[in-house]
Amino acid sequence: MPIATRSGRSAELFSHEMEITEEEVNRRKAFLEFHKEDADALRGLNEVAQQYADPVIEDLYRHFLSFDETRAFFADPKVLDRVKRMQKEYFLRLTEGEYGGDYVADRLRIGTVHEHINLAPKWYLGAYNFYLRAVGTRLLEVMSKDPHRAFSTFLSLMKLVFMDIGLAVDTYIYARELTMRKQQEAIRELSTPVLQIRDRLLLLPIIGVIDSQRAQMITEGLLRAIRANRAKVVVMDITGVATIDSKVANHLLQTVSAARLMGAFVIVTGLSSEVAQSLVQLGIDLNRLNTVGDLQGGIEEGERLLGYRLVHEGEAGGTRPA
Amino acid sequence: MAVPILKQGDVLIASIQAALSDRDLDLFKDELADRVGRFRARGVVIDVTALDVLDSFATRTIRSIAHTARLRGAETIVVGIQPEVAIAMVQLGLSLEGVSTALDLEEGLALLRPRTGGGSRLGP
Repeated sequence: MPIATRSGRSAELFSHEMEITEEEVNRRKAFLEFHKEDADALRGLNEVAQQYADPVIEDLYRHFLSFDETRAFFADPKVLDRVKRMQKEYFLRLTEGEYGGDYVADRLRIGTVHEHINLAPKWYLGAYNFYLRAVGTRLLEVMSKDPHRAFSTFLSLMKLVFMDIGLAVDTYIYARELTMRKQQEAIRELSTPVLQIRDRLLLLPIIGVIDSQRAQMITEGLLRAIRANRAKVVVMDITGVATIDSKVANHLLQTVSAARLMGAFVIVTGLSSEVAQSLVQLGIDLNRLNTVGDLQGGIEEGERLLGYRLVHEGEAGGTRPA
Repeated sequence: MAVPILKQGDVLIASIQAALSDRDLDLFKDELADRVGRFRARGVVIDVTALDVLDSFATRTIRSIAHTARLRGAETIVVGIQPEVAIAMVQLGLSLEGVSTALDLEEGLALLRPRTGGGSRLGP
């Protein structure tokens, strides 16, 4: 079972990264008011649960198979058998009275498996609803003489089920956040290239939203490139930056100052009229910024500073840097 | 620890090899100001490649060295500020306003050349 082993490992990782410690689990139990009495009440139910486990599971999977969305997960009869077996294990575990670290780790593992196979939480929650109803009805049958006890046992089960749901939903959220973080990192790396366009002339096109973290990365990347390429002039093009607030402006100024400390001259290009106006309105001291209207102008200015002269072939019979 | 100050033509080269105490920095400043006059230097290059930190006192001292040297007729160029140092400096709000900077010793000397001889000079 490659999936199980893989997600088994990631479940451990998850419980660590999600900071689900013993203390955290105890806090959750305390909030649900899940006490020792609840565990005892559930343990008292184990014998009964053994008896109706199979029919409940059968009912549940009949229910699953009657919906296209959930049936799709059990196309393979072998998978169905295995999942049923695991489901029964879980079902009995609900009434075993042991809800410590192992139990929690198992819930997280199941959560990651479900997230992994893209089982949406709505089906997952629906299954719990089915469980609670099936168990509730049977509880009343078994304890028909003592409905109070049946109800309080049912409430204990509710607490446990809500804890399980909480854990599973957290793994869903965490897994999605992880994916989002990875994508953001990928976008970040893609979006801060430093390109050499002439000897000693670098181009830094900035596109998208600049936050502190990205500004830091841009600065670091630029300074490294300045050293590696022995750049003297950098054209920083911010055509792709839609809005600039005072924070972003300060980041840009810091980048420019840091580059200057390394002996590179920064030309900023591509300030749209909106950006220019908002900068003026914000009253940011832009004396340190050397700006040229557009990217072309910036590159030409950079070439001029470096002593290049571009000559059109038709005019001078050849293009060569001066 | 004293900073060696080398004379190369009409340029003085001072290479700071280790973090200096405030007292060392003061001595360095006095020494350099004295030598600029004595050797009639036209340029001063301060190499900080080996430093992994430039604090506010060091920055201020370098700035005042540059201003002093200018009054005595020499331009000062600070070379070899490392990326990490540059980032730390801007984050701390330290600047070398009015002092030229260059990537390394070679670039610094090239920058001074037009003052002491021919060659093209990079803009402002």
